[in-house]
Amino acid sequence: MRLIVSADTHLGSPIRSAALRNLALGDRLKQASRDTFKDIVDLAIVENVDALVLAGDIFDSEFPDLKSRAFLVTQLLRAGDAGVPTVLIRGNHDALLDHTAQGDLGPNIHLLQKNTPSVELGGVAFHGLSFEKAHVSKSFLPDYPAPSPGLINVGLMHTSLGGTHGHDPYAPCPEHDLLAHGYDLWCLGHIHAPFERRSGPVLAVMPGIPQPRHFGERLGGSVAIVTLGQGAPELEWRNVGHLRFVETKVDLTDCTDQQEVLRVLGKALHDAQDPQRDTAMRLRVVTARYTADDLRALANELLEGIDGVYLDKIKTSPPDTPIDDRADDLLRLMREELHEAGFQQASAQVLEDLRSALPARIRDALADDALDDLLEDALTEVSLSLHGMDTQ
Amino acid sequence: MRLNRLDLTRYGRFSDAQIDLPAPTGGTADVTVIYGPNEAGKSTAFTAFLELLYGMKPRDHPYDFRFKRSDLLVGGEIDLPNRGPVVLQRNSKRAQSLLDDQGRPVDETLLTAALHGLGRDDYVERFSLDDEGLRTGGARIASAKGDLGQLLHAGVSGLTSMAGTLDEMAARADKFHKKGGRGTALKLGKDRLTEIGRDLRETRLTPDRDRELGAAVAKALTAFELADADLITARLREAASKAAQIWYDTSKEISALDGALASYPDGPDLRKGAAEQIARLVASTTEKTNRIAEADDNIAAHAAVIADNPPDPAADALAAELAQLDQLTFDGAPLMARATTARSDLGNRISDRDGLRHQIDQTLARLSCSDVPMSSLAIAAHQLEDLAQAAQAVVTAQTAVSSTANAVTSAKKQQGAAPPEPQDLSPLQAAWDRWQTVADLTVQQNAVAVETGRLATAVAGLPTTWSALVDAGLPARETLLEHTQDMLAVTTKRDSAQAELDARDVEYRLAQSRRLADEAGSSAIDAAMTAQARRLRDTAWQTHRATLSVPSANDFEAAMHNDDDAQASFNAGADARGQLATAHRDENAAQVLRDKAQDRLERLNQDRDTLIAQSARLAGSLGLAHDTPAAAFSDRHAALDHAAKSATQLANAKADLETLSDRRSSVCMDLTAAAKLVGIACSKSDLPGHVHAALTLQDSVRQTWAKWDSANQSITELEEIAAQAAADNETADSALTALTATLPVAGRTAQDLIAALPDLRSLQRLHSDHEKISGRIEALKRADAQLCASAVRINTIAPDDDDPNSNPLAVIDQARSRVACANSASLRRGSAQVLHSREVITKRTASDAIQRAQSDLQACFQDQGAQDLLPPARIALLTERDALRADRKRLDAVRTVARTGAKTALFDTELAMLPDAARAAGVQQLLDDAQEIRDRARDAHREAERLYQEAYDASDRSELATEQATLLEELRDGARRAAVARLGVLAAKGALRRLATERRTTMLRDVEKAFVAITDPAWASVDVWSQAEGEKLVGVQPDGSVVPVDMMSTGTMGQLYFALRVAGYRSFARDLGPLPMILDDIMETFDDGRAKASLQLCADIGTSGQAILFTHHAHLVDLARATIDGVTIVDMPS
Repeated sequence: MRLIVSADTHLGSPIRSAALRNLALGDRLKQASRDTFKDIVDLAIVENVDALVLAGDIFDSEFPDLKSRAFLVTQLLRAGDAGVPTVLIRGNHDALLDHTAQGDLGPNIHLLQKNTPSVELGGVAFHGLSFEKAHVSKSFLPDYPAPSPGLINVGLMHTSLGGTHGHDPYAPCPEHDLLAHGYDLWCLGHIHAPFERRSGPVLAVMPGIPQPRHFGERLGGSVAIVTLGQGAPELEWRNVGHLRFVETKVDLTDCTDQQEVLRVLGKALHDAQDPQRDTAMRLRVVTARYTADDLRALANELLEGIDGVYLDKIKTSPPDTPIDDRADDLLRLMREELHEAGFQQASAQVLEDLRSALPARIRDALADDALDDLLEDALTEVSLSLHGMDTQ
Repeated sequence: MRLNRLDLTRYGRFSDAQIDLPAPTGGTADVTVIYGPNEAGKSTAFTAFLELLYGMKPRDHPYDFRFKRSDLLVGGEIDLPNRGPVVLQRNSKRAQSLLDDQGRPVDETLLTAALHGLGRDDYVERFSLDDEGLRTGGARIASAKGDLGQLLHAGVSGLTSMAGTLDEMAARADKFHKKGGRGTALKLGKDRLTEIGRDLRETRLTPDRDRELGAAVAKALTAFELADADLITARLREAASKAAQIWYDTSKEISALDGALASYPDGPDLRKGAAEQIARLVASTTEKTNRIAEADDNIAAHAAVIADNPPDPAADALAAELAQLDQLTFDGAPLMARATTARSDLGNRISDRDGLRHQIDQTLARLSCSDVPMSSLAIAAHQLEDLAQAAQAVVTAQTAVSSTANAVTSAKKQQGAAPPEPQDLSPLQAAWDRWQTVADLTVQQNAVAVETGRLATAVAGLPTTWSALVDAGLPARETLLEHTQDMLAVTTKRDSAQAELDARDVEYRLAQSRRLADEAGSSAIDAAMTAQARRLRDTAWQTHRATLSVPSANDFEAAMHNDDDAQASFNAGADARGQLATAHRDENAAQVLRDKAQDRLERLNQDRDTLIAQSARLAGSLGLAHDTPAAAFSDRHAALDHAAKSATQLANAKADLETLSDRRSSVCMDLTAAAKLVGIACSKSDLPGHVHAALTLQDSVRQTWAKWDSANQSITELEEIAAQAAADNETADSALTALTATLPVAGRTAQDLIAALPDLRSLQRLHSDHEKISGRIEALKRADAQLCASAVRINTIAPDDDDPNSNPLAVIDQARSRVACANSASLRRGSAQVLHSREVITKRTASDAIQRAQSDLQACFQDQGAQDLLPPARIALLTERDALRADRKRLDAVRTVARTGAKTALFDTELAMLPDAARAAGVQQLLDDAQEIRDRARDAHREAERLYQEAYDASDRSELATEQATLLEELRDGARRAAVARLGVLAAKGALRRLATERRTTMLRDVEKAFVAITDPAWASVDVWSQAEGEKLVGVQPDGSVVPVDMMSTGTMGQLYFALRVAGYRSFARDLGPLPMILDDIMETFDDGRAKASLQLCADIGTSGQAILFTHHAHLVDLARATIDGVTIVDMPS
């Protein structure tokens, strides 16, 4: 039996990137999560798999979005008509899968939950439990059914496992407990970066978010195809998604004029092209001369002639030179200033003033623990601006 | 760092060029003026120096026009601190481009350490100044508005845009967010987010709204279906009413038609197309009758034409002969076409041939060859040209022989007699060259004086035992540095350990107090009491199950309650016990941490004691008191080290002077001996003058001899050329003789042959023309004979009056006319015979057609009445009858269709009501009413569906969600950038305040000194004012009046900028050591007074470090020489 394993599709969730200020790209990607899901169904049909497995967080909406639900049902019925049944569970974002409020999903779509935790398809027993509320702090594993004797057993679980950086604990479950439960395959969801774990013949696969929504999810853009038979499950990865996020480091230290800067930037931007999908690019530029605003203008100029690549953000940093602190008075004195109580109080106030004016959802950008990074950038900014303006 | 020499090995237009920048002697300022006119390469030299320090530009190099970029090479000798002079080279490779004097790679850190990590741009900003920078620097520091920190920073860094930069950063932050700002990016973004949020909420399709809209659609659909059923019923009634009316009206028309048909003849309906067929048959009969009469007339006319055109019996034989004649050709064309012109051309050709023969005879006579056959002198064109070239070669060779003989004679006359040969004075010259290198001892004597002064300066402030300390061996500098760092580190660590111990102690005490508090709390019921309650409950249950009575039930209930209470209490107690266990663990952990901190502090105290003992030992070795702080070790070590090096350098200088003196004596003895060999004997003091005079005289003799020898060599070369010319003449003469050997002109001279060449060329051409025209005459005669023979044969077939031999063309023309007439008659006769046959056939066909038409007419009228009428009238009557019959049939079909299309019951009802004039209007009104009701219901249903679809579609606002996400991302980034800008401004302003405080004492003094010197006598001093917004620099005039910097004139501000840069340089040199300062024609727009003052500032730089001044003004060079004591003047290399 062959399965396509996906999770965390977050249908209806928009992409967060300044790159989408490009009107054509914004229009093209406004339905990116849906378009990617459609691609996954197409892939399931083309690959003639035996089932489509969705390990939670199919939706993203904090409110009922009936159109997204209608879209899901349409696509899963399309897969069912082509002979590909779907097995799925609810994740912490999946209120729209509540059949008591929204009705049944339809034929050939098997939602596994507390009262119906198992289904058998073609000699394979699928087991899964769904989130009944948004936050669950205990492990689901003790409530999973025992393996069905004589069948291949596949588990679906939406879990933060032992905890991952950047994710709150959701239905935490130690990996070794999971792999020792007696199932042959675990299809996991919740962590948006893909990975696999093996223990003997047992495989656990986290397929990753199919359509990354922001730079932090740049490792995603994948689904897994698993073949079950005699011996350990076989795994192959497939790239999906309509937009990928890429970070590239560019060193402009040796560039002595703007032509060379344009050449180096142009090469980096060209290298980022992917014929299969659009690319949102984050540039980390090492320079002692150009500010981020200067470089943004140059990069946007170059991107006029490069299809499929868009600028997400530019961050500059000075070259790593062993400069004698005594030789750069300004930098040395600014660093000394950072340790002054008066400065620390004033900088905290600057941060608080700005933070309080921001919408609540993005106040974390100026959290207190970001102050050290901001100060380092501030010192760089002063040095670059001072030299940049002087050379103009 | 000091630049001692710059090598422009392969760079720009330079090749193996050097610029020497010798260090000053005698304690003068270190200033080098490099002079060169415009385009001499001063900018090239400056760039070369920078590229030596920092590497070459990787591509599009501005100085790779003479040498390829890959071949560029610069170098120089650089005096590095703690290392001394080092020769370095730099090529254009990307890696390992810095090389030593042997071409081996050198680690870049050698230079980066000496440059204190300053980048190329930093170096240019801090350590170079040109006229443009000086003139605009004043204007640019105006934006600082006198701010002391910014001005001092401009002086130190060379950067003048601090105020603008900070203002721009603050403005950038304000653009994102400013309290009360209405047009800020944040405000606009938040407004837009609010709008988006509102739109998303309003357009959201909730389940309740979904159900409400769905119910409205269902209700409207039901109403529509009912109205539609009513409309269908009304339409059926209206259709039945119309059908009944049709039945009624058509029945009346059918009765009228039955009456009319009774007056027409009987018979079946005519078949379709019968009338048209009968008309066609009548017309055809008439047309065929007329055609038979016309055919009879045509047959008679064609018979007459045949009789008038009989055949010619001789025509075929004549045609065959003429065809044979037409096959004959002349010059590729038919013979007949050329016959007339050929006969007349023959005479002209014979006349032309005779003329050519006459010209040939005349030419042969001119060549004196009348008795020679013409063909023997008709030479081919290429042979004729070979002959011409050979004759010309002979003439040219003869001329060369004559001219070279004249040249030899002339050169011998000019050479004259041989002068005396020069003497060999090379030993004397070698001795003289060695003497030149050791003649002057001044440089070495000066060096000893300088080093003596330096040693005195170096030992000032040192104990008198400094020499003994040095001899005993100084501790290594790294050891001192390491010791100082260790001391600092252990002190810092100890302070940190003490602070940690304090903190751990507090944590331990807190944990201890928490544990004591938990111990003091109650743990409630323990496990034994809980087990007892459970046992009592089980016993009560057993009892109740045995008795099943009310009291036992009450007992069991009470026991059950007690058990529940006990269980609850136990659970509560379990929490308290768990908390106490945690408190114990916390206390133990805190105690362990506190003990570890204590141990660490004690270890660090021991380390510190060890280091203090080491400090005392090191202080003794440096001649310092045992309790001297370690921070002072480095300066004392440097002073002792400097003194030791100075002493070594003085000893070296003295040794150099002594060596040179010894060598001078030895060389003087060699020179005296060499002079004696050539006969010079004099006192030691006069010896150099005599030797110089003897060497000069010998140079003159050598030049005269060389000139005579050169003339002799020229004569020899001319004689060789004359011999070669004679040989060439002989070769050319032999070649000409060989060419003419077989010709009637053999033995004639080259000049005669050149004169005869035009006649030989003419004779060759005339001979060719004569041969061509003779051939043509023979061809014409053959063609005329063929023509006459053909005419004789034609005359035999058809005899004529003309003579075929004298006039063959007339005979042939007559035969052609006769053949043409016979052909024409034959064509007319054949055509008439064809037309005659065709008319006979036409007549027969027309008779057959008339018989078939009569037969068809009889068939068409079969079984029909009215036989007495002619066919046209008869068919018209029968057609009228059939039309009436068709109308009746159509009407019957119409009423049948109307009846069958209606509901039977409704039809019968409506038919029974006819005739009724108002019935149709009533039925239509019912239908209109039903239609209107149905349409309204349909529209209502469509509207309900539209509303549902609209709400459904509107719920998909992915473009708004995308915009919302993008906007939030932009605001997140913008907030971060605004915070960075604000924090940057905050830090920079604080740093500038610190800079002002830190440099106030030293830099202000230097600024004042430089400013007063360059502006003398306009300004007396500078001062600092404290104001609410910070400290400001002001200028003080001689009368005591004070002028803020931002109120000074532009020129004065420029002078202040220069003063700040000089002070900045001194400050840097004082803290970190000097680096070369490059000044590029900074005084080209100054008058002499200001230029002199500026040069004094350059000297000021030279006393702190190294000043290199490029200029293309000769008067500035003179001024520098007069102003700066000990200045070095260097010309740019060519």
